[in-house]
Amino acid sequence: MAELRKYGWGEAHRPEPAFPTVRVYVWELPVRVSHWFIFLLVIVLSFTGYYMHNPFIVAQSGTTFLMATIRFLHEVAGFVFIAAFLLRLYWFFMGNSWANWRAFMPVHRRQWRGMGRMVAYYSFLRKDLVHQVGHNALAGVTYLLMFTFMLIEIITGLTLYTQVRGKWALGWLFNWVPGVFDIQHIRLTHFCVMFAFFAFVIHHVYSAVLVSWEERNGLIESIFTGYKFVPKAELEEDAVLSKAD
Amino acid sequence: MLPSNHSLSGVLQQKGINRRRFLKFCSLMTATLALPPRYIAQVAAALEKARKPVLVWLQFQDCAGNSESILRSSHPTVLEVVLDLFSWEYHELVMAGAGHQAEAALERVVREEKGKFIAVVEGAVPLADDGVYCTVGGRTALEIARHVCPNAAATIAAGACAWDGGLVRAHPNPTGAVGISEAVPQATVINLGGCPQNPVNTAAVLVHYLTFGELPAVDQYSRPLFAYGRIIHDQCERRAHYDAGRYVQEWGDEGHRKGWCLYKMGCKGPQATFNCPSVRWNDGTSWPVKAGHGCLGCASHRFWDTRSPFYDRLPTVPGFGADVTAGEIGLGLTAVVAGATVVHGIASAVRDRMRPMPPAVPPPANNEPPRKG
Ligand code: SF4
Repeated sequence: MAELRKYGWGEAHRPEPAFPTVRVYVWELPVRVSHWFIFLLVIVLSFTGYYMHNPFIVAQSGTTFLMATIRFLHEVAGFVFIAAFLLRLYWFFMGNSWANWRAFMPVHRRQWRGMGRMVAYYSFLRKDLVHQVGHNALAGVTYLLMFTFMLIEIITGLTLYTQVRGKWALGWLFNWVPGVFDIQHIRLTHFCVMFAFFAFVIHHVYSAVLVSWEERNGLIESIFTGYKFVPKAELEEDAVLSKAD
Repeated sequence: MLPSNHSLSGVLQQKGINRRRFLKFCSLMTATLALPPRYIAQVAAALEKARKPVLVWLQFQDCAGNSESILRSSHPTVLEVVLDLFSWEYHELVMAGAGHQAEAALERVVREEKGKFIAVVEGAVPLADDGVYCTVGGRTALEIARHVCPNAAATIAAGACAWDGGLVRAHPNPTGAVGISEAVPQATVINLGGCPQNPVNTAAVLVHYLTFGELPAVDQYSRPLFAYGRIIHDQCERRAHYDAGRYVQEWGDEGHRKGWCLYKMGCKGPQATFNCPSVRWNDGTSWPVKAGHGCLGCASHRFWDTRSPFYDRLPTVPGFGADVTAGEIGLGLTAVVAGATVVHGIASAVRDRMRPMPPAVPPPANNEPPRKG
């Protein structure tokens, strides 16, 4: 209780870091742009897609064009989503070391150890976070999984789309899919993966707030501005490590 | 009764089918085959000249529904013309002969008409336990199919069971049933899916064969494109209600009485291809959606397994039983994650306040020193 009184319930429960921090440009513009586009489009696509699965609003008047409009929005949003995904894909190869595809692949023992530590942190077995300028290893793997899910959504979505429209190049690319997996199972997959996005968004926002709070490194702000505040020594170490990769 | 040499027009005249009715039939066939109207004359000329090819109709694991379907076509011309276009030498359901006599007729066709006759197969072929689950005249269906189909000029798989095993092959498929093209891969097979197949389409395939001397263009499942090339949903008369967002919510509700879209009642029109909406049944009277029931997708590949549950939008998720929908599972998962997050958040806040962290010391102790090289 003494500690509680000492630090209180307010903001100042943890002392400010007593060492120099530097402002680092971590998330470059394409990373932020694709992040926010994907965020917005996941919302639009989930809403319209859920309506297409289960039209919970039944039109009563004779002049509506509800489902057709929603379907149209879903298709347009889907293609913008693909564009955002491709931009991020491009930046896997062109971006800085924190945006690079290597940051998402757990290929080093160090990353596996970091992942174990993050799991321990989330399950209250450790108190301190893994400090990292970019993503921690566990987050990297989670994002890798989400990118895979996005790819699944894109492939199943385009396959469903070719059933209706887009016979030319798209048809050539995706018409083989329903011969291998039945179209109803493709539809089921396309629908179920949506809930993985729901679960991810909840966890992602929560953990961003949590880590931002614990580390006080401006994590939340960084996805708007691109800048994070990290201890100088940490940045130097990160530079050495990424060179060693 | 082997193929006689007199032409179709003579036979039809004898039967009292005048030229007008005959041309009506030709234009129905031309339209069904999605040919331009100028082909009507060509179809009529070809049919008039045609020398009746022999046709045998084999029935294996079936319900005789496809035979009934073609026999029940009340449009007299369809049935009669098709019956008269071919010399039907063997059809268990309708032939007069029985026993050894009937089997001998089949034998004679295979022997004397080799490579020239048409075989229609109805029903699936069981492969399990050496095919004992379907035998005709002491021979298994597989033996008969292997004997007859490769010797035919073409084999028409009539209905879902003959195409891909259909109901008989539905999970768990105790008899190891398969469709005819799987049972006899060396046969030239054209698949007419549907439960049952539409007699107009069967007639159209036969007419195409007589007119052009070859089978119509097919898709990846060897189904004729003219009948299976378009999605039902895109030809449906309720489509305007679908686009507008007007749906039947319950059987017999206001929307149902007004003829709104059956999407929410599990209609599989959006994932089924067939020409049901244009050709329809019973002389073009109606088809399931017009009659107020959602499409089951009966012309889709293995539809008993892939299109069920028939009254739900999506298949059930494997491992969750039949009563839980994918949406319920997904929303449940989301709720669990949300709940866990709230609990974790509260726990973290309490932990931080009870046992505050000491100030972090640079450099972070948890990162490995750089490796050499
Ligand atoms: S009734 Fe079925 S096929 Fe017709 S528009 Fe509705 S969903 Fe499509």
